[in-house]
Amino acid sequence: MDHIAVRTKKLSKSYTQGLYALDDISIQVDHGKVLVVMGPSGSGKSTLIRTFNGLEPFDEGEVNVLGIQIDSTYDERKIRKIRKRVGMVFQQFNLFPHLSILENITLAPIQVQKRRPIEAEEHAMHLLSQMGIATHSSKYPSQLSGGEQQRVAIARALALKPELLLFDEPTSALDPERVNEVLDVMRRLAKQGMTMVVVTHEVAFAKEVADQVLFMDAGKVIETSTPDLFFSNAQHERSRRFLNQIEKK
Amino acid sequence: MKQFNKLYFQLALLAAVFILLAILINNLTINLSRAGLEFSFSWLYRPASFALAEHPLPYSPSDSYAWALFMGWLNSLKVIIVSLFLATCIGVFMGLARTSNNTILNFTSAIYITIIRQTPLLLQLMFWYFVAFLGLRDNTFTPLKGILSISNQGIELLGLNLSSEFSALLFGLSVFAGAYIAEVVRGGILSVSTGQWEAFRSLGLPESSGLYKIIIPQALPAIIPGLTSQYLNLAKNSTLAIAVGYSDIYAVNDTVINQTGRAVESFIILLVSFLILNLIITNGMEIINRMTLNTNKYQ
Amino acid sequence: MPNKIIKSGLKLLENNIRDLFSNLLSLILRLCIISAIGLTFFYIFQWLAITANWKVVSSNVPLFAFGSFPSDQRWRPSLWIISLLFLSIFTLIGPNRKWLRRILPFAWISTIPIGIYLLSGGLGLLPVASRDWGGLSLTILLTGCSFLLSLPLGILLALGRQSKLLVIKHLSSLYIDSMRAVPLIAVLFFGQLLIPLFLPLGVEVDRVWRAVLAFTLFVSAYISEDIRGGLQAIPNTQIEAAETLGLNQFQITFFVLIPQALRIALPALANQAIGLFQNTSLMAILGLVELLGVGRSLLANPEFIGRYIEVYIWLASVYWLFCTFMAILARHIEQRMAIDKPNLVP
Ligand SMILES: Nc1ncnc2c1ncn2[C@@H]1O[C@H](COP(=O)(O)OP(=O)(O)OP(=O)(O)O)[C@@H](O)[C@H]1O
Ligand SMILES: [Mg+2]
Repeated sequence: MDHIAVRTKKLSKSYTQGLYALDDISIQVDHGKVLVVMGPSGSGKSTLIRTFNGLEPFDEGEVNVLGIQIDSTYDERKIRKIRKRVGMVFQQFNLFPHLSILENITLAPIQVQKRRPIEAEEHAMHLLSQMGIATHSSKYPSQLSGGEQQRVAIARALALKPELLLFDEPTSALDPERVNEVLDVMRRLAKQGMTMVVVTHEVAFAKEVADQVLFMDAGKVIETSTPDLFFSNAQHERSRRFLNQIEKK
Repeated sequence: MKQFNKLYFQLALLAAVFILLAILINNLTINLSRAGLEFSFSWLYRPASFALAEHPLPYSPSDSYAWALFMGWLNSLKVIIVSLFLATCIGVFMGLARTSNNTILNFTSAIYITIIRQTPLLLQLMFWYFVAFLGLRDNTFTPLKGILSISNQGIELLGLNLSSEFSALLFGLSVFAGAYIAEVVRGGILSVSTGQWEAFRSLGLPESSGLYKIIIPQALPAIIPGLTSQYLNLAKNSTLAIAVGYSDIYAVNDTVINQTGRAVESFIILLVSFLILNLIITNGMEIINRMTLNTNKYQ
Repeated sequence: MPNKIIKSGLKLLENNIRDLFSNLLSLILRLCIISAIGLTFFYIFQWLAITANWKVVSSNVPLFAFGSFPSDQRWRPSLWIISLLFLSIFTLIGPNRKWLRRILPFAWISTIPIGIYLLSGGLGLLPVASRDWGGLSLTILLTGCSFLLSLPLGILLALGRQSKLLVIKHLSSLYIDSMRAVPLIAVLFFGQLLIPLFLPLGVEVDRVWRAVLAFTLFVSAYISEDIRGGLQAIPNTQIEAAETLGLNQFQITFFVLIPQALRIALPALANQAIGLFQNTSLMAILGLVELLGVGRSLLANPEFIGRYIEVYIWLASVYWLFCTFMAILARHIEQRMAIDKPNLVP
């Protein structure tokens, strides 16, 4: 039990009657491992990882994150407990536009973890320099490029010292030249042993970093395997079609 | 657990509001009974015994307070409706002028809007009354003989007599609301994308028919909500009639309170009168809105 | 064939003549309009410079500024108004140091209690009763106090109206909608005549503070709708991001929602402040001698009887100047804040 970071059991959700966004999903991610989630648009990838930190309530089944079990009854206390230990990075960065970069990062450590402002700022500066953007600390989000903003978003998530990081297509809103700035940071995190669940279409990244690849379609898990197996010899016809599609691009 | 807390919190809040209201009403009844004015509406049937300069229906001082108040309400309605039309004309013209390429029109409209919007309505009303109408003294101004004559007695238009109080209020309100409506119209026209202008120009349509056939129909959905709120403002602002001595609902209420001391009851009557006025305007605008939406099937 | 050429030639000529004619016509029309405008300006200028008798204004400037404030104490309101002026100029063109900008809002807020202290006295200053306050200083005081109180109340009402708790939601909506349905003068009248009736025996609230209370009750309903508009303009993803960081409902509201909503609503709030400044003139017909009230009382003075135009033009200029200045100040603050956020969704 201790080695499991995330586990779902028969997880189901539908927005509209009869149409499943998640359909009977049972998966498991171990500590220190990286899971890459792939699938066509609308297959339920976002919905799945958003259930992990309670952004998305679900109808049936259960989710266990870092030993905290939640089910279809939306228990706010448990979910807040989870959120304090899980970080998330969004496709659209979602930085707070009215706060400076430094304030964006220190807001939660100071308010949620009640850390001393000076200590929180030192930690934030340390994270920013690891991301290579320490010089921007007093700027505002709108003054930064997309790649820089996304690195700030990662720093903001890391500032809470999370045990699990969730990424929802972190590079899809970026210019192609900027994608690697962000992926490099994520590679380094993976090397440091961070547990991560990443929704992405970056094949090279998945091959290099993932311990496990999960392919979804229409709310169902089509297959789970190692990246080597998945990219060279996918088991299902649906997965192969999808891989053909993204290779063409 | 959490749900229960929320429920109790709301119940407690509701109780607090009721207790506060109860205390206030208790104070009120104590204060009123000390003044010998127990809360009641029976005085409404007593004769008003004050004269009204203007009354759309027959009225004499021996009529009841209720009838006097109703006359006040009708006077309000009268000035509001006429001002609505005049203000809309001024506002649409000035709004179009503000968006036109003609420098003179544009400049005139900009001056008009800034002067009117950056000075208090009350001051403007006083200006219209004391300077524009009473200031005429005994001079009569007849731009069109036999049709229109303006004097300190008011306006005479084709045998229709408008008192100077009514005219001052009418012009003051319309010119004031016109400036705000002009901004609404301008905003609506600017909300139509420049592509639409380019499209009708490239089709060879002349400016004016492009404006009326292409731009304004598309601007209307953006204009009508703003227009509604300006109309409601105009109705509320009409209560400044008291400053120029026009007997609208608020002015009559004021007289009634001075005579009877029935402040609370009169205040309630005032609020109800306004509720009805608001309902009339919002429903009227709702109908207009539906009509324009029906003709604008493109959405 | 030649017939056709002649025909088209004639047509060309006709078109040219018509063009010429319409050009000429529009030129004449334009000249007429320009000379009419010029003539109007000339007459206005002539009247202002020659016909008008400005004595009613020039000999009463202190009255317009301070009302019947004791003449040996007039340095107090003067000091206040001058410091407000300096603060605005500083806000407009002062140095752009970060810490200076940080304390600026607090400086603005503190001008209100300082103004109250300077006007009312006590604590070492000679006490001056509120019935002696008047003129521009009273107008500014009414505006400042009411707006400062309306802002937090408006925020609370806006949050209340968005609340998931039904009781709070409906109470807020009821308050906001009914306040927005009634005319301001009725609310002010309520403040002057009815508030005393709702107070227990022996408790009295001064006229000026009753006016401030009434303005606050009225304006907060309008402000709350502006702020609600701001709240609704914040994308839901902002709340999600904040929730993900583990912030609780209160922290999200206080650190993420309110600051952004205020920024979005800033132009609308500035309009409310300008409207409030103008609407304080309504107190002139409800028994306070603020700026317009001074004008009215002067016009009732036999010495200045009939000098309506001069007084009204003077008052209009003062109001216009202040409102325009407020608008400029607001636009400046808005632009400064816009550096922080040109776009909400990156
Ligand atoms: N708020 C919502 N209301 C109704 N349906 C929704 C909502 N959010 C998502 N859906 C539906 O649920 C399904 C899964 O959506 P989800 O966003 O998880 O897909 P995704 O795999 O992340 O797609 P993408 O790659 O485009 O981000 C889709 O069919 C979508 O239309
Ligand atoms: Mg998605």
